[in-house]
Amino acid sequence: MTNKVVIYTTPECVYCKMTKEFFKENKVVYEEKDVSIDDKAREEMVAKSGQLGVPVVDIDGKIIVGFDKEKLTELLKLN
Amino acid sequence: MYDVIIIGGGPAGAAAGVYSARKKLKTLFISEGFGGQSLVSDDIENWVGIKKMTGLELAKMLEEHVRAYENVEIKMPEKAVSVKEISDGLSVQAGWEVGTDKNNVYQTKALIVVSGGRRRRLNVSGEDKFEGKGVSYCSTCDAPLFKDKIVAVIGGGNAGAEAAIDLLPYAPKIYLINRGSELTADPLIVEEIKKSPKIVIINNAETQEIIGDKFVSGLKYLDKQGSGQKELALDGVFVEIGSVPNSEFVKALVETNRAGEIIVDHKTGATSRPGIFAAGDVTDEIYKQNNISAGDGVTAALSAYNYLLNIKKQSPAFAEATAGKPAYENKNSN
Repeated sequence: MTNKVVIYTTPECVYCKMTKEFFKENKVVYEEKDVSIDDKAREEMVAKSGQLGVPVVDIDGKIIVGFDKEKLTELLKLN
Repeated sequence: MYDVIIIGGGPAGAAAGVYSARKKLKTLFISEGFGGQSLVSDDIENWVGIKKMTGLELAKMLEEHVRAYENVEIKMPEKAVSVKEISDGLSVQAGWEVGTDKNNVYQTKALIVVSGGRRRRLNVSGEDKFEGKGVSYCSTCDAPLFKDKIVAVIGGGNAGAEAAIDLLPYAPKIYLINRGSELTADPLIVEEIKKSPKIVIINNAETQEIIGDKFVSGLKYLDKQGSGQKELALDGVFVEIGSVPNSEFVKALVETNRAGEIIVDHKTGATSRPGIFAAGDVTDEIYKQNNISAGDGVTAALSAYNYLLNIKKQSPAFAEATAGKPAYENKNSN
Protein backbone atom coordinates (compact mmCIF):
# COMPACT_ATOMS: atom_id res chain seq x y z
CA MET A 1 0.00 0.00 0.00
CA THR A 2 1.32 3.43 -0.88
CA ASN A 3 0.68 6.33 1.45
CA LYS A 4 0.02 9.83 0.22
CA VAL A 5 2.72 11.84 1.94
CA VAL A 6 3.03 15.64 1.83
CA ILE A 7 5.70 17.57 3.72
CA TYR A 8 5.53 21.33 4.29
CA THR A 9 8.99 22.86 4.64
CA THR A 10 11.13 25.99 4.69
CA PRO A 11 14.61 26.00 3.11
CA GLU A 12 16.70 26.48 6.26
CA CYS A 13 14.76 24.18 8.57
CA VAL A 14 17.01 21.38 9.73
CA TYR A 15 14.20 19.15 10.99
CA CYS A 16 12.62 19.40 7.53
CA LYS A 17 15.88 18.15 6.03
CA MET A 18 16.07 15.34 8.57
CA THR A 19 12.52 14.29 7.81
CA LYS A 20 13.20 14.27 4.06
CA GLU A 21 16.34 12.21 4.58
CA PHE A 22 14.36 9.80 6.68
CA PHE A 23 11.90 9.47 3.77
CA LYS A 24 14.73 8.85 1.31
CA GLU A 25 16.36 6.22 3.55
CA ASN A 26 13.06 4.42 3.79
CA LYS A 27 12.15 4.90 0.12
CA VAL A 28 9.02 6.88 0.95
CA VAL A 29 7.59 8.80 -2.01
CA TYR A 30 6.59 12.29 -0.87
CA GLU A 31 5.50 15.64 -2.19
CA GLU A 32 7.28 18.70 -0.80
CA LYS A 33 5.66 22.11 -0.47
CA ASP A 34 8.01 24.99 0.32
CA VAL A 35 5.86 27.37 2.35
CA SER A 36 8.44 30.16 2.10
CA ILE A 37 7.44 30.66 -1.56
CA ASP A 38 4.04 29.02 -1.80
CA ASP A 39 1.45 31.16 0.00
CA LYS A 40 -1.38 28.75 -0.67
CA ALA A 41 0.57 25.87 0.79
CA ARG A 42 1.34 27.96 3.88
CA GLU A 43 -2.34 28.62 4.51
CA GLU A 44 -3.14 24.96 3.85
CA MET A 45 -0.48 23.88 6.35
CA VAL A 46 -1.71 26.22 9.07
CA ALA A 47 -5.30 25.11 8.53
CA LYS A 48 -4.36 21.42 8.67
CA SER A 49 -2.03 21.58 11.66
CA GLY A 50 -3.24 24.60 13.63
CA GLN A 51 0.47 25.39 13.92
CA LEU A 52 2.90 28.01 12.73
CA GLY A 53 5.93 25.77 12.62
CA VAL A 54 7.71 23.44 10.21
CA PRO A 55 7.97 20.68 9.25
CA VAL A 56 4.39 19.51 9.03
CA VAL A 57 3.84 16.07 7.52
CA ASP A 58 0.50 14.89 6.20
CA ILE A 59 0.24 11.11 5.82
CA ASP A 60 -3.16 10.20 4.39
CA GLY A 61 -4.74 13.04 6.33
CA LYS A 62 -2.94 12.32 9.59
CA ILE A 63 -0.81 15.26 10.70
CA ILE A 64 2.61 15.14 12.35
CA VAL A 65 4.27 18.36 13.49
CA GLY A 66 8.07 18.30 13.73
CA PHE A 67 10.49 15.44 12.98
CA ASP A 68 9.01 12.57 14.94
CA LYS A 69 10.78 9.42 13.77
CA GLU A 70 8.69 7.08 15.88
CA LYS A 71 5.38 8.47 14.74
CA LEU A 72 6.49 8.50 11.10
CA THR A 73 7.59 4.87 11.40
CA GLU A 74 4.24 3.96 12.91
CA LEU A 75 2.06 5.78 10.38
CA LEU A 76 4.12 4.60 7.41
CA LYS A 77 4.24 1.06 8.83
CA LEU A 78 7.99 0.91 8.29
CA ASN A 79 8.79 -1.77 10.87
CA MET B 1 27.04 -3.01 33.89
CA TYR B 2 28.73 -0.49 31.63
CA ASP B 3 32.16 1.02 32.25
CA VAL B 4 30.90 4.41 31.22
CA ILE B 5 27.61 6.00 30.27
CA ILE B 6 27.76 9.17 28.19
CA ILE B 7 24.68 11.37 28.38
CA GLY B 8 24.41 13.78 25.45
CA GLY B 9 25.17 13.80 21.71
CA GLY B 10 26.78 17.16 21.02
CA PRO B 11 30.48 17.65 20.29
CA ALA B 12 31.41 16.90 23.92
CA GLY B 13 29.46 13.64 23.92
CA ALA B 14 30.77 12.48 20.55
CA ALA B 15 34.36 13.24 21.55
CA ALA B 16 33.89 11.38 24.84
CA GLY B 17 32.34 8.50 22.91
CA VAL B 18 35.25 8.21 20.49
CA TYR B 19 37.85 8.31 23.26
CA SER B 20 35.97 5.88 25.51
CA ALA B 21 35.69 3.51 22.58
CA ARG B 22 39.40 3.74 21.80
CA LYS B 23 40.15 2.95 25.43
CA LYS B 24 38.06 -0.20 24.96
CA LEU B 25 35.58 0.82 27.61
CA LYS B 26 32.16 -0.79 27.51
CA THR B 27 30.29 2.38 26.65
CA LEU B 28 26.63 3.33 26.53
CA PHE B 29 25.68 6.50 24.71
CA ILE B 30 22.29 8.00 25.58
CA SER B 31 21.07 10.99 23.61
CA GLU B 32 18.05 12.61 22.08
CA GLY B 33 20.12 13.08 18.94
CA PHE B 34 23.51 14.07 17.58
CA GLY B 35 24.82 17.56 16.96
CA GLY B 36 23.79 19.39 20.10
CA GLN B 37 22.57 22.95 19.98
CA SER B 38 24.33 23.67 16.69
CA LEU B 39 22.09 21.19 14.90
CA VAL B 40 19.70 23.93 13.82
CA SER B 41 22.49 26.24 12.65
CA ASP B 42 22.58 26.70 8.89
CA ASP B 43 26.12 27.98 8.86
CA ILE B 44 29.05 26.89 11.06
CA GLU B 45 32.31 28.52 10.03
CA ASN B 46 34.46 27.94 13.11
CA TRP B 47 34.74 24.16 13.46
CA VAL B 48 38.49 23.83 13.12
CA GLY B 49 39.46 21.96 9.98
CA ILE B 50 36.24 22.65 8.11
CA LYS B 51 35.73 26.09 6.60
CA LYS B 52 31.96 25.95 6.35
CA MET B 53 29.22 23.46 7.06
CA THR B 54 25.68 23.20 8.37
CA GLY B 55 24.68 21.97 11.81
CA LEU B 56 23.21 18.88 10.19
CA GLU B 57 26.54 18.10 8.54
CA LEU B 58 28.33 18.46 11.87
CA ALA B 59 25.76 16.16 13.48
CA LYS B 60 26.32 13.51 10.80
CA MET B 61 30.08 13.67 11.13
CA LEU B 62 29.84 13.21 14.88
CA GLU B 63 27.34 10.38 14.56
CA GLU B 64 29.37 8.49 11.96
CA HIS B 65 32.50 8.74 14.06
CA VAL B 66 30.83 7.39 17.20
CA ARG B 67 29.06 4.65 15.25
CA ALA B 68 32.40 3.49 13.81
CA TYR B 69 33.16 1.77 17.16
CA GLU B 70 31.54 -1.51 18.07
CA ASN B 71 32.02 -1.16 21.81
CA VAL B 72 29.75 1.89 21.95
CA GLU B 73 26.09 1.03 22.29
CA ILE B 74 23.78 3.88 21.28
CA LYS B 75 20.33 4.54 22.71
CA MET B 76 18.71 7.25 20.62
CA PRO B 77 16.37 9.02 20.82
CA GLU B 78 16.35 8.56 24.55
CA LYS B 79 16.66 11.06 27.35
CA ALA B 80 18.24 10.56 30.76
CA VAL B 81 15.90 11.81 33.46
CA SER B 82 17.50 10.58 36.68
CA VAL B 83 20.78 9.40 38.15
CA LYS B 84 20.99 7.45 41.38
CA GLU B 85 23.94 6.13 43.29
CA ILE B 86 24.13 2.34 43.45
CA SER B 87 25.04 1.27 46.96
CA ASP B 88 24.78 -2.43 47.63
CA GLY B 89 27.08 -2.05 50.62
CA LEU B 90 29.52 -4.54 49.12
CA SER B 91 31.18 -2.85 46.16
CA VAL B 92 34.52 -1.21 46.60
CA GLN B 93 33.24 1.73 44.64
CA ALA B 94 29.68 2.81 44.05
CA GLY B 95 28.30 2.96 40.55
CA TRP B 96 25.46 4.93 39.04
CA GLU B 97 22.04 4.03 37.78
CA VAL B 98 20.64 6.13 34.96
CA GLY B 99 16.87 6.25 34.40
CA THR B 100 15.43 7.44 31.08
CA ASP B 101 12.21 8.75 29.57
CA LYS B 102 11.68 5.30 28.02
CA ASN B 103 11.52 3.87 31.54
CA ASN B 104 14.81 2.05 31.03
CA VAL B 105 17.43 1.78 33.74
CA TYR B 106 21.14 1.38 32.96
CA GLN B 107 23.99 0.81 35.39
CA THR B 108 27.51 2.11 35.03
CA LYS B 109 30.76 2.44 36.91
CA ALA B 110 31.48 5.95 35.63
CA LEU B 111 29.30 8.66 34.17
CA ILE B 112 30.06 11.45 31.70
CA VAL B 113 27.46 14.23 31.67
CA VAL B 114 27.55 16.12 28.38
CA SER B 115 23.90 17.07 28.16
CA GLY B 116 24.55 20.61 26.96
CA GLY B 117 22.08 23.44 27.21
CA ARG B 118 18.66 24.30 25.92
CA ARG B 119 16.98 27.51 24.96
CA ARG B 120 15.98 29.72 27.85
CA ARG B 121 12.26 30.35 27.99
CA LEU B 122 10.59 33.59 28.97
CA ASN B 123 8.43 31.91 31.62
CA VAL B 124 5.54 34.26 31.01
CA SER B 125 1.86 33.53 30.61
CA GLY B 126 0.94 32.43 27.08
CA GLU B 127 4.41 31.18 26.13
CA ASP B 128 3.60 27.46 26.46
CA LYS B 129 0.10 27.81 25.07
CA PHE B 130 1.24 29.54 21.90
CA GLU B 131 4.43 27.60 21.21
CA GLY B 132 4.20 26.68 17.52
CA LYS B 133 1.23 28.99 17.24
CA GLY B 134 3.18 32.20 16.90
CA VAL B 135 5.83 31.63 19.56
CA SER B 136 9.02 30.29 17.99
CA TYR B 137 12.52 29.45 19.15
CA CYS B 138 13.98 29.01 15.66
CA SER B 139 14.06 32.04 13.43
CA THR B 140 15.93 30.33 10.60
CA CYS B 141 13.22 27.63 10.50
CA ASP B 142 10.10 29.67 11.00
CA ALA B 143 10.82 33.17 9.65
CA PRO B 144 9.19 32.43 6.24
CA LEU B 145 5.93 31.56 8.01
CA PHE B 146 5.62 35.15 9.13
CA LYS B 147 5.41 36.70 5.70
CA ASP B 148 3.44 39.97 5.89
CA LYS B 149 3.03 39.53 9.66
CA ILE B 150 4.16 41.76 12.48
CA VAL B 151 6.56 40.06 14.88
CA ALA B 152 8.63 40.67 17.96
CA VAL B 153 12.05 39.28 18.77
CA ILE B 154 12.82 39.10 22.47
CA GLY B 155 16.50 39.52 23.31
CA GLY B 156 19.06 42.21 22.61
CA GLY B 157 22.13 39.98 22.23
CA ASN B 158 23.61 38.45 19.09
CA ALA B 159 20.96 35.75 18.82
CA GLY B 160 18.14 38.29 19.04
CA ALA B 161 19.73 40.62 16.53
CA GLU B 162 20.39 37.75 14.11
CA ALA B 163 16.79 36.57 14.43
CA ALA B 164 15.59 40.08 13.55
CA ILE B 165 17.81 39.97 10.46
CA ASP B 166 16.46 36.51 9.53
CA LEU B 167 12.97 38.00 9.65
CA LEU B 168 13.76 41.06 7.52
CA PRO B 169 12.87 39.50 4.14
CA TYR B 170 9.45 38.43 5.43
CA ALA B 171 8.00 40.56 8.21
CA PRO B 172 7.03 44.17 7.44
CA LYS B 173 7.65 45.23 11.05
CA ILE B 174 9.89 43.72 13.68
CA TYR B 175 9.96 44.87 17.29
CA LEU B 176 13.26 44.05 18.94
CA ILE B 177 12.49 43.89 22.63
CA ASN B 178 15.45 44.34 24.90
CA ARG B 179 15.50 44.22 28.69
CA GLY B 180 18.59 46.40 28.98
CA SER B 181 19.13 50.02 28.08
CA GLU B 182 21.02 49.18 24.89
CA LEU B 183 21.61 46.21 22.61
CA THR B 184 24.48 43.93 23.64
CA ALA B 185 24.94 42.35 20.20
CA ASP B 186 28.22 42.87 18.30
CA PRO B 187 28.59 46.42 16.91
CA LEU B 188 28.51 45.22 13.29
CA ILE B 189 25.12 43.57 13.75
CA VAL B 190 23.75 46.48 15.78
CA GLU B 191 24.72 48.79 12.93
CA GLU B 192 22.78 46.63 10.46
CA ILE B 193 19.78 46.56 12.81
CA LYS B 194 19.75 50.32 13.25
CA LYS B 195 19.90 50.86 9.49
CA SER B 196 16.68 48.95 8.85
CA PRO B 197 13.49 51.02 8.91
CA LYS B 198 11.51 47.82 9.55
CA ILE B 199 13.12 47.12 12.93
CA VAL B 200 11.88 49.02 15.95
CA ILE B 201 14.09 48.67 19.02
CA ILE B 202 12.33 48.84 22.37
CA ASN B 203 14.83 49.09 25.23
CA ASN B 204 14.18 48.68 28.97
CA ALA B 205 11.27 46.39 28.22
CA GLU B 206 10.36 43.36 30.33
CA THR B 207 8.07 40.95 28.47
CA GLN B 208 5.14 40.01 30.70
CA GLU B 209 2.53 38.17 28.70
CA ILE B 210 1.82 36.71 25.27
CA ILE B 211 -1.83 36.92 24.32
CA GLY B 212 -4.05 35.50 21.62
CA ASP B 213 -6.89 33.16 20.79
CA LYS B 214 -5.85 30.29 18.49
CA PHE B 215 -2.68 32.09 17.50
CA VAL B 216 -0.64 34.91 19.00
CA SER B 217 -2.28 38.31 18.65
CA GLY B 218 -0.24 40.46 20.97
CA LEU B 219 2.40 40.94 23.62
CA LYS B 220 2.41 42.88 26.87
CA TYR B 221 5.57 44.36 28.32
CA LEU B 222 6.54 46.54 31.20
CA ASP B 223 8.36 49.73 30.36
CA LYS B 224 10.96 49.70 33.11
CA GLN B 225 11.52 53.42 32.82
CA GLY B 226 8.20 54.03 34.44
CA SER B 227 5.51 54.36 31.81
CA GLY B 228 3.82 51.14 32.94
CA GLN B 229 2.51 48.17 30.97
CA LYS B 230 2.22 48.47 27.23
CA GLU B 231 0.69 46.26 24.59
CA LEU B 232 1.79 45.51 21.04
CA ALA B 233 -0.49 43.97 18.42
CA LEU B 234 1.48 41.30 16.56
CA ASP B 235 1.39 37.75 15.17
CA GLY B 236 4.68 36.22 16.15
CA VAL B 237 7.15 36.18 19.03
CA PHE B 238 10.70 34.87 18.58
CA VAL B 239 12.41 34.13 21.89
CA GLU B 240 16.21 34.55 21.81
CA ILE B 241 17.31 35.03 25.40
CA GLY B 242 20.18 32.62 25.76
CA SER B 243 20.37 29.12 27.14
CA VAL B 244 20.19 27.14 30.36
CA PRO B 245 22.22 24.03 31.24
CA ASN B 246 20.54 20.62 31.11
CA SER B 247 21.79 19.64 34.55
CA GLU B 248 18.53 19.01 36.45
CA PHE B 249 18.79 15.21 36.40
CA VAL B 250 22.16 15.19 38.25
CA LYS B 251 21.76 18.28 40.39
CA ALA B 252 21.17 16.26 43.55
CA LEU B 253 24.53 14.50 43.11
CA VAL B 254 26.98 17.11 41.87
CA GLU B 255 27.73 20.71 42.76
CA THR B 256 26.34 23.34 40.43
CA ASN B 257 26.73 27.11 40.35
CA ARG B 258 23.97 29.71 40.50
CA ALA B 259 23.34 29.39 36.76
CA GLY B 260 22.80 25.64 37.22
CA GLU B 261 26.08 24.76 35.48
CA ILE B 262 27.97 21.75 36.80
CA ILE B 263 31.15 22.88 38.51
CA VAL B 264 34.09 20.88 37.14
CA ASP B 265 37.82 20.76 37.67
CA HIS B 266 38.91 22.11 34.30
CA LYS B 267 42.09 20.02 34.31
CA THR B 268 40.20 16.73 34.53
CA GLY B 269 36.48 17.27 33.93
CA ALA B 270 35.83 15.81 37.38
CA THR B 271 32.71 16.97 39.22
CA SER B 272 32.35 17.14 43.00
CA ARG B 273 31.36 13.45 42.92
CA PRO B 274 34.04 10.83 42.21
CA GLY B 275 33.00 8.80 39.18
CA ILE B 276 30.90 11.55 37.60
CA PHE B 277 32.60 13.66 34.94
CA ALA B 278 31.15 16.47 32.86
CA ALA B 279 32.07 18.51 29.80
CA GLY B 280 30.77 21.13 27.42
CA ASP B 281 27.90 23.58 27.81
CA VAL B 282 26.39 21.83 30.83
CA THR B 283 29.48 22.81 32.84
CA ASP B 284 30.89 26.09 34.11
CA GLU B 285 33.20 26.27 31.10
CA ILE B 286 33.32 29.97 30.21
CA TYR B 287 33.38 29.63 26.43
CA LYS B 288 30.40 27.76 25.07
CA GLN B 289 32.00 26.65 21.83
CA ASN B 290 31.81 23.43 19.80
CA ASN B 291 35.58 23.03 19.59
CA ILE B 292 36.03 23.55 23.30
CA SER B 293 33.21 21.13 24.12
CA ALA B 294 34.91 18.48 22.00
CA GLY B 295 38.19 19.01 23.83
CA ASP B 296 36.47 18.97 27.21
CA GLY B 297 34.75 15.74 26.17
CA VAL B 298 38.14 14.15 25.51
CA THR B 299 39.37 15.31 28.92
CA ALA B 300 36.32 13.82 30.63
CA ALA B 301 36.69 10.49 28.82
CA LEU B 302 40.39 10.13 29.61
CA SER B 303 39.71 11.04 33.24
CA ALA B 304 36.90 8.49 33.40
CA TYR B 305 39.33 5.92 31.98
CA ASN B 306 41.93 6.70 34.63
CA TYR B 307 39.25 6.62 37.32
CA LEU B 308 38.22 3.13 36.18
CA LEU B 309 41.84 1.96 36.25
CA ASN B 310 42.19 3.24 39.78
CA ILE B 311 39.07 1.57 41.13
CA LYS B 312 40.17 -1.64 39.42
CA LYS B 313 43.52 -1.40 41.21
CA GLN B 314 41.76 -0.92 44.53
CA SER B 315 39.48 -3.93 44.12
CA PRO B 316 40.52 -7.08 46.06
CA ALA B 317 39.98 -9.29 42.98
CA PHE B 318 42.44 -7.22 40.98
CA ALA B 319 45.05 -7.29 43.73
CA GLU B 320 44.83 -11.09 43.85
CA ALA B 321 44.97 -11.54 40.09
CA THR B 322 47.93 -9.25 39.60
CA ALA B 323 49.93 -10.31 42.65
CA GLY B 324 53.59 -10.48 41.64
CA LYS B 325 52.94 -8.99 38.21
CA PRO B 326 54.14 -5.57 37.08
CA ALA B 327 51.98 -2.54 37.79
CA TYR B 328 48.97 -1.96 35.60
CA GLU B 329 49.90 -0.48 32.28
CA ASN B 330 48.60 3.00 31.77
CA LYS B 331 49.97 4.28 28.55
CA ASN B 332 47.91 7.10 27.17
CA SER B 333 48.73 6.12 23.65
CA ASN B 334 46.09 6.53 21.04
